[in-house]
Amino acid sequence: MTPARAALRGFGWQPLGRRAPVLTGLDLAIEPGERLLLTGPSGSGKSTILRALAGVLGASVPGEVSGAVEVDARIGLLLQNPGDAVVAARIGRDVAFGPENAAMAREEIWRRVRESLAAIGMPYALEHPTQALSGGELQRLALAGVLALEPGLLLLDEPTSMLDAANAEGVRRAVLAVVAQTGASLLVVEHHVAPWLAHVDRVVVLGADGHITADTSPQELACMDPAALAGDGVWMPGLPAPTPLDLPATLVRPRHAPLPLRAESLAVELRTRTMRGPVTTPALRGVDAELAGAAVTAFTGPSGAGKSTLAAALAGLLVPVAGRVVAPEPAWHRWRPRDRAAQVGWVPQNAEHGFLTSRVCHEVVVTANRLGVEVDVGETLEAVGLSHLADANPYQLSGGEQRRLAIVAALAHRPPVLLLDEPTVGQDRDTWAAVVGWAMSAARAGAAVGVASHDPALAAASDHEVTLERGRVAIR
Amino acid sequence: MTRPEARQHQLRGAVLRANPLVLLAAGLLVVPGSFAVRSLPIGLVALGAYLLAGVVLLPSLRPALGRLGVVMLASVMVVYSTWLLGGHEVDTALTAGVRVLVLALPGAVLAVYVDPSRLADELGQRLGLPARFVVATSAALQRFDQLGQTWQHLDRARRARGFGPSRNPVRTFGYAASLTFALLVSALRGATQMSIAMDARGFADAHRRTWAEPVVWTVEDSALLCLGIALAALPVILYAL
Repeated sequence: MTPARAALRGFGWQPLGRRAPVLTGLDLAIEPGERLLLTGPSGSGKSTILRALAGVLGASVPGEVSGAVEVDARIGLLLQNPGDAVVAARIGRDVAFGPENAAMAREEIWRRVRESLAAIGMPYALEHPTQALSGGELQRLALAGVLALEPGLLLLDEPTSMLDAANAEGVRRAVLAVVAQTGASLLVVEHHVAPWLAHVDRVVVLGADGHITADTSPQELACMDPAALAGDGVWMPGLPAPTPLDLPATLVRPRHAPLPLRAESLAVELRTRTMRGPVTTPALRGVDAELAGAAVTAFTGPSGAGKSTLAAALAGLLVPVAGRVVAPEPAWHRWRPRDRAAQVGWVPQNAEHGFLTSRVCHEVVVTANRLGVEVDVGETLEAVGLSHLADANPYQLSGGEQRRLAIVAALAHRPPVLLLDEPTVGQDRDTWAAVVGWAMSAARAGAAVGVASHDPALAAASDHEVTLERGRVAIR
Repeated sequence: MTRPEARQHQLRGAVLRANPLVLLAAGLLVVPGSFAVRSLPIGLVALGAYLLAGVVLLPSLRPALGRLGVVMLASVMVVYSTWLLGGHEVDTALTAGVRVLVLALPGAVLAVYVDPSRLADELGQRLGLPARFVVATSAALQRFDQLGQTWQHLDRARRARGFGPSRNPVRTFGYAASLTFALLVSALRGATQMSIAMDARGFADAHRRTWAEPVVWTVEDSALLCLGIALAALPVILYAL
């Protein structure tokens, strides 16, 4: 394997169906063996650069490329969502996918599979089902799949943004060990700069307009004014968490007092249908938790602890197997969706799952119309910085824009109880400020707010914390 | 090979070790066979034979029972419409219903036990189908289970926003339609991401590719294939007699 030299010259990209290009006239070069960190606000075109170097623009992603892309060795691409790269039901066979495509002989394939899995520290046998892996393990499996082709350039697209701190650290360590071992060039795209800074040679910051605003070494970056760079939405080291937006009370004040929602020895099992029949996994056991009015309560804990499940159960969206969520009759999960929506707003972890219409401005009012509540669409969109996108299709927004839209779509009708599922995962500072700002402003206006999150900055900003561990409450 | 042993230790039964082509054949052979179900006794004997084979060979009857329910529903609808339109003849109607059961049940149950990677190996290596097509299909099948989970998440998000199934059947139908559309959108999104990941791993240019695992055909596979043929032929033989 030789470390790759890669370059974009006068590069531009316009996705199919977009009026304006995402990037124009961009020049960026990576020297052999260089480790480069690329950062910038949501929608600035970071992922586009990565995909251009990976050679998938125009092929897997329809649109128009201009300028030149030069890469002189094999690349390896790691995507944000760990599940997206899985192609086989068993881990050995999954890692073998690349070598198979390269038409290698069978002995060579398995030699590479074993070496790659050893390099990333996978503790399981080759026959282990990919379905049984956690998010962090899936991301490391994807890394092994990439390694099996012995790439000269590793391209990582926010590889840890969906993971909790411990899993993110595991993936980072695996990446750095691999780079140290193989000498491959590295390009990491990340919002959170700090954890990578000690391990890269160079940092490039993209501005909101898709042009390079800083291209420097980590040492010099430390001397620069972090606030100036944070203006681009980047999580610079040494900066305090962004100031949550202070939203006008007219947008967030609950229409009536919140129901006193309380989980009482709550037990919930999650049931998923698979090809082999339903699979049941216990998610919560004997949980007591309370959602206080006029306060933000954070549900924290490692991945799989049951944070999201508790939020969904408090929102009345899950049926308990034992215990209950205390609410007025009938049983909370039996309330008619419309009546419950008047009491509780719930924001899903995946913003796209909640979209019901094909225009941003319709999305804001659809629940309010169902309940007969007036909403000022213009002011609401203005407050979260989406005014210019009022007529856009929700599915065409960037990740950060979708997140802000999901918040207003679920909460614009001013319910007295707010439940948010991992609302800040992978977000830039501006979106963070809008999301946390909405939660805190609503709490100040009297709402009871619950947030399931592994984001320490969000936990620090909340009034109460309920820590879960393997489905039980750990510390109060 | 280590693979069958590892699988055996999870679930027991011959169909788990069976070559996916055998499962496919057993599920498809019954389709022409079921046309010979011309009377109720023939149908009941054929169905009984399949049920017996199922009890003996399947590692667990739970997934089979779920599928039986769905196929039963189709069968009952056929019985009713045949009875209604076919001059209220109970015997004819029941025969038609049993025929549907014989036709659909084996395939519906056996589909559960097809491992997508092994199926791709067989289709690509033994039957020589185009590798890219076979591998893409296998990767898509492997993601099938995710659809159930996505459906749950979509349903939750809709109910939280005040929309959900109600007692009004028209509304409930509209709700299911909107969920299905959202599921398709979400599946397409996932497929795009997946194809990016696959192409970055050399799939885009893999016009000639190799296979990490060999295909194996055991004596047990031959025996199961014979059984599948015999079961499918049973109604034909009974009809000829």
